Amino acid sequence: MKKLLPPCLLLVMAAMLILSCSEEQDFDQFDDLSVTPTVASSIFYLESDEEFINSVSAVSTFYAQTFNFDAFNEQFVAERLLEGTISYELDNTTSKRLNITIEFLDEGGNILDIESLSIDPAPAQTETLEVAYGPGGKSLDILINTSSFRVTGNNLGDATSISSEPEPKIIVRSAAEFLFRLK
Amino acid sequence: MRLGKLFFLTTFFGVSSMWSQNKQLLYDFYEIPQSLMVNPGVKTSEKWHTGIPVLSGLYFQAATSGVTVNDLFANDGVDFTTKVRERLIEDMSKRDDFSTTSQIELFNVGFRGKNRPDDYYSFGVYGETDIIAYWPKDLAILAFEGNGGNNIGRSFDLSDLNLRGEMVNVFHFGVNRKMSNDLTIGARAKIYSSIFQFQSIKNSGSFTTTQGQNNIYANTINADMKLQTSGVQEIIDILDEDTSSTQRDLTSLFTRRVLLGGNLGLGFDAGFTYHLNPQTTITGSVLDVGFIYNSKDIKNYTLRGSATNEGIDVILPEDINDLNNDLWQELIDEIEESVPFDDNDTSRYISFRPVKVYGSIRYDFGLAETSNKDCGCAINTESGQNGNLYRNSVGGQLFMMKRPRGVQAALTGFYQKRLGRTLSLKTTYTVDKYSLSNIGLGLNLQAGPVNFYILGDNLLGYRNVADSHYASLQFGFNIISWNDN
Repeated sequence: MKKLLPPCLLLVMAAMLILSCSEEQDFDQFDDLSVTPTVASSIFYLESDEEFINSVSAVSTFYAQTFNFDAFNEQFVAERLLEGTISYELDNTTSKRLNITIEFLDEGGNILDIESLSIDPAPAQTETLEVAYGPGGKSLDILINTSSFRVTGNNLGDATSISSEPEPKIIVRSAAEFLFRLK
Repeated sequence: MRLGKLFFLTTFFGVSSMWSQNKQLLYDFYEIPQSLMVNPGVKTSEKWHTGIPVLSGLYFQAATSGVTVNDLFANDGVDFTTKVRERLIEDMSKRDDFSTTSQIELFNVGFRGKNRPDDYYSFGVYGETDIIAYWPKDLAILAFEGNGGNNIGRSFDLSDLNLRGEMVNVFHFGVNRKMSNDLTIGARAKIYSSIFQFQSIKNSGSFTTTQGQNNIYANTINADMKLQTSGVQEIIDILDEDTSSTQRDLTSLFTRRVLLGGNLGLGFDAGFTYHLNPQTTITGSVLDVGFIYNSKDIKNYTLRGSATNEGIDVILPEDINDLNNDLWQELIDEIEESVPFDDNDTSRYISFRPVKVYGSIRYDFGLAETSNKDCGCAINTESGQNGNLYRNSVGGQLFMMKRPRGVQAALTGFYQKRLGRTLSLKTTYTVDKYSLSNIGLGLNLQAGPVNFYILGDNLLGYRNVADSHYASLQFGFNIISWNDN
């Protein structure tokens, strides 16, 4: 038995060595793998009817609110964000010119950036704004350090008129498309 | 980085890959005692046999129905990310899989009944690891491309996540009985001693990003997903401790579970051999009809529910008095409440063994001798049938196996050549989802009482192993005593 084992194993190994071969493989290529998905999501939605705007516009500001928004400065996002775009859309069916301001605030409440959008009274086309961040755009640090938004709505017109449009209102839409590096 | 590479390589080409346990070379190769393990009703000739412990049956198999190592890692100057995108992400479908199976026979003994020479009893223990992971195509696209850009409107199918794996020790006892000169039947009882098991096989749901009803985008998830594990958490805990006793603790844990100290199960094999005429034989077997009752060291993970997110929502005047400035956290909490992730589920569960079915038809020709004094065939000589030794056999085999995504089948044609009583060769051509050019070769060498066999599959793949979709190798040593009655 002992005499037979080594020859048999030798035979197996020799056969495998003789028969098998492989093209040159380079497993270090894995280091070159680039995984950069684009993530899309809405950010916030603001809607106000004209009646409400008229009712609180004695001081022209019909809405002002600061709210936390930690999505950008989550460690995972902050470390992997390559570039991105934030899109804004404004629809106005009221009878007045309106302005929406979005301030990007850091943890200390300091203003990092401001986006301001104005739209004419109805009938007005949808106002859009796309803001790029990263190479060729604004600094990514704005996003990475953003901890909250301050959204302010201002009435630039009168506080009495009512649009003839059905259900007159101002609508603010916003969304982000960010490119991340996962690998 | 190194860990990432290791994970990638092992996931796709190592541990988590493998498939069929088709042993087409071993099946009905009745000169090899281990053929009883794939058909308990195979023709047996020995008086007794015993495998050389640990060396009687070593079996390794790895397969990929999609991309090969060479497809990705060949030093061909093509950008690696491009290769991954084109050959892995785009070309592979959710029915493609990576699979791996290994079996190590700890011991295998067989003997003929003293008072019932038509009965051949066999028993033993073997360990088996079996893992299959289907390519999670939609989830891979989601990770590689994201939900933005061209994927707006695309529904990512969460059921693409489908994997199953286990390590189990099997104690078995089988009886092979020659009912008549034409018919031999057999059955084998099995006790499964599970070391670990995991499965995520009944997922459903989708993740979609579409144009929102109010806002620009709406992200919608509808999930019913579950990962069941048994025997895994204790292993992770020991590894996490990372103390000087880790090795000892792991050894102790494995030893306990190997020796029926873990989750247990029951199963059986059955099979037959029937001679249609002296030269034509049909066989069939069903293997691993059984289950394991997982009740110890259970940790299940579930993600169930549905939610749609269009971002933070402020509608005036309704929300003017909502002065909560943590609207983002409120949104997160709302989503988590709608689609809760639970990792505290310890419900017991039953896992079924992957059932396998074989069938074959064989035609023998080229009569060499008409009497068999040394091969144990005396028990077959009463009618003069089947005691004859034919130099050649030709035939076909069918193999089917239950897998999480349905039955996988393989069709084999074979030719067997016997050179005296010492050497037997079998060559097979197999068609399955992995290869249309799978040629295998098996060799059985009988030197006195010592039996050595080696069975190698997909030999053409050895021209470039890295480009092979499928590889399996089995070999072992036995001591055989032939019938002398």
